[in-house]
This record gives sequence, structure tokens and C-alpha cells, in this order.
Amino acid sequence: MAKRKRTATQPAVAGGFVATRVEVEGREEIKIVERPAFEPEPWGADAELHIVGQRIPRRDAMEKVTGRACYTADMDRPGMLHTALVRARIARGRVVRLDLAPALAVPGVRDAISEPDAGDIESAGVPLFSAEVRYAGQPIAAVCADTLDIARRAADSVIVEYATAPHAVKAEDVLAHEAPRVRDDGNVASGGRRRTARGDVKRGLDEAEEVIEREYRTQVALHTALEPHGAVAEWDGEHLTVWESTQGIFNTRSDIADALKLPLNHVRVVHEYMGGGFGAKNGASTNAYVAALLSRRTGRPVRCINDREGEQLDSGNRPATIQRVTLAARRDGRLTAMINDAVIPLGIDGWFGGPAKIFHELYSCPNVRTSETFVYTNTGAMNSFRAPGHVEGAFALECAMDTLAAALSIDPLELRMINYAERNEEKDREYSSKRLRECYEKLRDSRLEIRDSKTRSERAESPSESRISNLESRCVRGVGIASQSWGTGGGPPAYALVRLNPDGSVDVLSGTQDLGTGSRTVFAQIAAEALGAKVEDVRVVIGDTERTPYTGNSWGSSTVSSVGPAVRMAAEDAKTQLLEAAAGLLDVDRSQLSVSGSVVRVRRSRRSITFAELGEELGDVMIIGRGSRGPNAEGLTLTSFGAQRAEVEVDVETGVVRVLRITAVHDVGRVINPTLAESQVEGGILQGLGYALFEERVLDDSIGVPLNPTMHDYKIPTLADVPELDVTLLDIADPAANHTGARGLGEPPIIPTAPAIANAVANAIGAEITELPITPWRVLEAIRLRDASRDSRDTASLSAR
Amino acid sequence: MHLRINGADYALELPPHTTLLEALRDGAHLTGTKLVCDRGECGACTVLLDGDPAYACLTLAAACEQREISTIEGLATNGELHPLQRAFIEHDALQCGFCTPGQIMAALALLRTNANPTEDEVVRWMSGNLCRCGAYPKIVRAVRAAAEQLRGDGQA
Repeated sequence: MAKRKRTATQPAVAGGFVATRVEVEGREEIKIVERPAFEPEPWGADAELHIVGQRIPRRDAMEKVTGRACYTADMDRPGMLHTALVRARIARGRVVRLDLAPALAVPGVRDAISEPDAGDIESAGVPLFSAEVRYAGQPIAAVCADTLDIARRAADSVIVEYATAPHAVKAEDVLAHEAPRVRDDGNVASGGRRRTARGDVKRGLDEAEEVIEREYRTQVALHTALEPHGAVAEWDGEHLTVWESTQGIFNTRSDIADALKLPLNHVRVVHEYMGGGFGAKNGASTNAYVAALLSRRTGRPVRCINDREGEQLDSGNRPATIQRVTLAARRDGRLTAMINDAVIPLGIDGWFGGPAKIFHELYSCPNVRTSETFVYTNTGAMNSFRAPGHVEGAFALECAMDTLAAALSIDPLELRMINYAERNEEKDREYSSKRLRECYEKLRDSRLEIRDSKTRSERAESPSESRISNLESRCVRGVGIASQSWGTGGGPPAYALVRLNPDGSVDVLSGTQDLGTGSRTVFAQIAAEALGAKVEDVRVVIGDTERTPYTGNSWGSSTVSSVGPAVRMAAEDAKTQLLEAAAGLLDVDRSQLSVSGSVVRVRRSRRSITFAELGEELGDVMIIGRGSRGPNAEGLTLTSFGAQRAEVEVDVETGVVRVLRITAVHDVGRVINPTLAESQVEGGILQGLGYALFEERVLDDSIGVPLNPTMHDYKIPTLADVPELDVTLLDIADPAANHTGARGLGEPPIIPTAPAIANAVANAIGAEITELPITPWRVLEAIRLRDASRDSRDTASLSAR
Repeated sequence: MHLRINGADYALELPPHTTLLEALRDGAHLTGTKLVCDRGECGACTVLLDGDPAYACLTLAAACEQREISTIEGLATNGELHPLQRAFIEHDALQCGFCTPGQIMAALALLRTNANPTEDEVVRWMSGNLCRCGAYPKIVRAVRAAAEQLRGDGQA
């Protein structure tokens, strides 16, 4: 049967199933899901909760501080072999000679594979081990051996000869006339010209009294999770187990089953601990395919983990953007038109997570038009990276808003208030809850240290004055703000089971993942709250396609809002059964019972029964609660919001920017665990700071090869770069989003950080920042251009006299 | 090769060019010490050699014979967590946890030389230990809290 194409405008309902919209990473999909057997009463803003909302220590912290936490690279199976990949050293061309014999001759080497051994498996946008090289770092062979050291030395001995071909690694180059062919299917991605519009932009421009036009450029950023991509594979007959560092065990399972043509129930994917993902680990990695192939051939378990260079070359990235932005407004600040024409060089593959969407949703404006052109380049494939598209779009939009504010002589925060979007104008829907105005107000009212600082920009007025060698006096300070929207409501399908064991302990089983976000902890809290159990008695089992029921990937800031309701429902279901059993044992009506702290009590009586006593009475008769995530509410958009302010200091002699403080206020609905939530917000801000100031994959354009695939040369923030962080979460439940009242917050905090910093730098030096990262030489260049334009203005006014 | 790790003796058959990191992870099966950059850039493999911090990925295992090697696995004594470990839990000074063993071992080395570090001293000492989740602010708090605890206990 042909799959009927479902679009967002055609929700269908059939039987007990219902169609519902789910937004993940800016993509809206229609899911057909069964209606849950029941939907618990939402935990509204005034719900009396005792465990949800508490600062419970991270459940797996003990394993992590003792070194006991077993990550994929720590998996050690009996007889396990180790793998090293051979990667292409050219950006485009053909492998004309590949000789594995020297590797196979190394003692301890067990196998080596290349293109003929890979079948029709595709990974990262190219056929696995393809002799047709399309980017530097593309895997072309793999060697496995008794130890990693032997495998690496053997991989180095593989003889590779290339015939190079012309490459294109920049957007301008792939779009040029007679550009080299990056991929066989063309340089512009199929369907990669995307245009979205509402209203009449031309009319909006005609109505405007102020129009600003700018070009913004953002860089390629690398996820640089400390744990690289990697997998361990082990066959048992026709059954395959893969331990993988992944954000989605079920996605990974279906990828592997598809690639190896296995039934889904012959593949088990396990995720226990993982050292960060940030969007790059949403399916089976190349490493998983290689490990599975080598394991099948050798009959032994095989581990295949990226080395750091491989990780930085070939595990995904946030693509660069070139964005031509026009903002038009009336003198009172009201936007009349917004335009963004963007080109996004994805690399050799990727999906269309572009910068346009935030232009349609962050502000109220009747006329908006965006175009995005997604092109392929001879570089590693794009992959989701924490708020893909919105981070790049927010930089352009929020910097342009500050430029517009300056042109209109309106305070930047005031301009954002003037253009506040009460509803989702892109989809013409209401928000389940939107409290961005409160975020702005809290930001405005929060402590600002440097507003009255005497060091502020006067000293930067002229080059002669700014070039004072005294360190303190050559520093200028500035303040900038930026804001954020991001769909974080999650949705079905997601399932959970809650089991009461005979000793009164409780298991929560759900096939989700914990990337370091704390999902194990918050689900223990939700289950304990709903069941009336002690949180310390609740164990959360996740990350195993054979042990735990389906949930989707941990992406799109959707784990809590998707899986949380399923966990709560499973616990409520278990509680219903538990109360029925207790009512029978205590010979009272169910309505007479209350439950908390793992004890069922009879109201207005001293009689009670603990979960353990109940379990003992029931013996091996199990109480198993089943929960699923229900459909999203019709006609609502589920979005998290926030605003940040950066305070910076710029050394106008060296161009070095130092961020002094970031104040962040975010609206994410109910906060299940404030400590963990604040940690995640701080982490998002710090990644945003790295993106703003240091992080950039640097290529040698002439050969198309990345120059900085190391942690020394690809600069992520260190402890010494950390500013003062002042994080506030509004923590007001959003019961319309789902019955836990929580939306997501993993991605939102990274979105406004870079534009807030850029606006602060612009404020400090009196010159706009239009390109990331804000390296010292870009700051000095901005100052030079500022001075040059002042000089030419002075000259012009002199000659006019 | 004879190595003394966390007070226990290990006799390992390893090639002479084996790094201490390989010896720990693949030889002694102590995988708490992590491999991240493999070239002394990130601090994730920090261990102590006779009490001094060292990057295990840049240290030859053979050069560690006759030396006392301390790793994250040996920090808790008789099941009792070290104050640094407790402080990392209490202050939520970790997220994914991959850099955590290196962070804690680096902090341990700091507190051995400076029982009462200022915030600046913690920042300077620990800034070679990278964390991509951004637990940095809480790491500083945890290290200082542990220092205070240790001073109170008279252990430092």
C-alpha cells in the first residue's frame, strides 16, 4: 500500500486513533496515535506537588563521580576487537589504489574492509567506504585488531592513492557558473530552495519609514562532545546487539536493521551512559555499521570509536549561513516587513534546519518573506546541533533588531516589546502559554553593573584616544540583549511502564536516553510524585530497545514534554491498581485511601499499609502501570521563550572580547528539577558563548581540508572564559502543553547568547558585528571600518564647507 | 610491566610504547579515566603520579613503574566518597559526566598543594580540563566547597 502523504493541514481521525501535530527541531509532523486509556488531570500552576519541583541530586551522579559509569567506549566484551578507520585526505576525487595487504600483515590484525565489503550501506550522506571521495575525512576502509594500538598502526600502513578532482567547499563556489559537481544529484539540494511568506512584503516596505539591510555570516561549528561517536557490536547467531552512544536507540535500531536487512527484533540497541550528543547522535553512526560488519565477519565483538580527529572531521556540524536581512518599520518601531534571503552550505549531506523560521515567529509583523537555498559542499555532512537553524537565524535577526533600534533611536528592549507577538503568526495559532514579556521585564529590572561605568565607549570615540596602552583604560564595555523562541512541546508517541516490585521498590521503564540532561532524575521525580512513592525507591531504566518501550529521540528539547506525561500516566495507572489492591486488603473503600511516601493510608484513621507490605501480600502478582503520551491540544503551538543580556568588555587595542556576565530569563513551563534545569541553561549559554567568540571549523579552501580538527585548535570555552551567569526560570506551569505542565529547555538557552554578545560588543565599540565568531581581528576590523567611515564623513563635511 | 595503581599491584603484559592511559583502560580495565583528545589538550585523562597531576595520554606507562598512580576509582575509601566527589554531586558539577573523573583528579591535585584556593586559583588550575556541557560554574563551587570541608576535617 502506498503511503498516503499527510500534511499539517489534514488532520485525520480514525477509530480510537487521532492525528496530532508534533514539532521537533522546527519540523512539524502529523503523528497518528492511539488515544490514551485516560489522561490524568493536568498539574496546573497551583497543583500541590512535593517531589516535582524539588532540587533532587542527579540520580546517576554517584556512578559518574566514582568512574563506575560505563560509557560506550568503556564497554569491554570477551574477545573484543578494536577498530581504526582509514579516512580520505582529499576533499574530492577517487581512490585509485587501496591496498589493505600491509595492514593485514601486521600481527594482531584480524580483518580489514573497504568498499566491496560494505554492500549498499550509506552513512553520513555517502555510500560507506565509497572510493568516490566527496569530503576530507570520509571513511574509505577499516581495520580491526586485538588492540586499538595495533589497529591504528595497521590503518596507517594501508596504501591509498588518489586521483584528485576539483572541489567546492564554500557556498559561493558551489553556486558559481561551471562549479565542480559536489554530488551526482547536483549542488543545490533536492527541494533545497525553500520560500516562505505571509502578507505582502512589498507593501510593507512601501509603508516603512525606516529600512535597514545587512548581510550576516555565521561559521561552521562542531559539536565536540567529549565522548566521540562510537559503538560496540556483537552477534549471537542472527541477532545483533549494538551498544551505541546515541540520542535515539529506536532510530538507531531501525537504521541498523535497514542497513543490514534484519528484522527489527533481531537488533538490540543499548545506551547506558553517554558523554554528550548536542544533536549529532540521532541515528546509527558510521561506527555502528562498521562494528556490525566487522563483528559479523570475525565472529567476535568489535568496538569502533572515533578518534578525536575523526570526530571533528566527520560527525556533523552546525552549517555556515549567509543571510541577507531586511527589516522595515514605522517611526514608532512597529515592523512592517521582514526579509531573510539565506544560503546554507550543508556539507555533503544534511537536512533543512535553516535560519528562516525564527523570522516568522519571534516578532509580530504582517509581512514576512524568507528564502533559503540549501547547497552541498565537499565537506562533512551537516547534523542537528542544539537548536539547528534558530541559533544562526537568531544571530541575524537579533543583531538586525539592534541596528533597527539604533536607526529609530528606540531602546533595543523597547523595540522588542513594541513588536511582541501575542500569538503564533506563522501558523496563525495561539500559544499554549507565552511569557516572553515577563522575561523581558525581569531582564529590564535585573541588576546591571556596567550601565554607569565610566569606562564605557567614550574612550573608543577616536582611534588616537582608544589606543591607550594602559590595559584598564583601553577596555570599553557594552551591553546587549537578544531573545528566543523554540518549539519544545514534544508529543507522542512515547511510552512508559511502572512496576511495583514485591519489596515496595519501583521500576520505571522507558526507552528514552539521558545525554547528561538528567532525564533519569526528572522521570524518577515525576513517577514518585504520581505514584506516591519515595523518590529514592524509584529506579529509572532507559536506553534498551529490548527492555524498555518505545520513545522517540532525545532531540528538539522534547524528552521531558514527550516522555514525562507517559511516565506520569504509567505511575497513575499503577497507583490505581495499587489502591484497589490496598482497598481490598484493608477492607475499606478506595476513596478512603491516600498515598504518599510509599505508604497507603486510610483517611481519618491510623491504618496504613506500606508499598513493601502490599508487595509482600501480593507476592509475585505484579502491579504494572502503562502510560503513553497523549495527543497535543488542537490549535495550539507549544514553544519555550527566553531573553538574555550580555555585558562585555572589549580591549580595543587587541580586539579581545571578554564576557563579564550573562543574565538569562527563560520561560519553559513547569521546572521539574531547578538544579538540573539551571545546569542545562548554564551549559547552553556557555556553548553559545563559544559560538559567539571562538568556535569555527577552519578550512584550507585551496585543498578543502579542515585545519583544526583538534581540541586545541577548535576552541571550546574553558573555565577561564566563564562569565558570571545569572539564570532565572519563570517556572510557571503550562498545563495546556501537557498534563505535567513542563515544556523543554535543552536548546533554548543557546539561541540568544551569540546575538546578545554581538550586540554588547557593538554597543561597546560603536560598530556593528555582522559575522561570527567575533574574533579579535574581526573586532579590530569593525573598529577600523568605523574610524574610516568617520574619517571620510569628516573629510566630506570639510570639503562641503 | 609492574604498576601500582590505587594501592594495588598490577603485572601487565604491554608493549613498551603503551601510554599510561592505555595501560589503565585496556590493561588494568580501569575505565574511569577517559580518552577524549589523546594529545594532552582536554584534561579528561588526568591522574595523579605520586600526588602530582599528569595527563595519562601523554605519559608512558613504563615510566610509571615505582610510582604511585592514583585514579578516580581509588578516591573513595571503604565505600565512603571523598569530599570532592560529594561536593560534585551536591553542587551538580557535572552533566554527561565524561570529563568528571579528570576534573575531580585535577581538583584533588590542587587541594593537595593549596588547601584554601581562591576562586581565581581554582579557575587558573582547572582551566585545562574541558567540559562541553558547561558545568564550569558549578565545578568551581564544588571544588571550593570540598576545600572547605577538607579544611574542617583537617585532612588537607
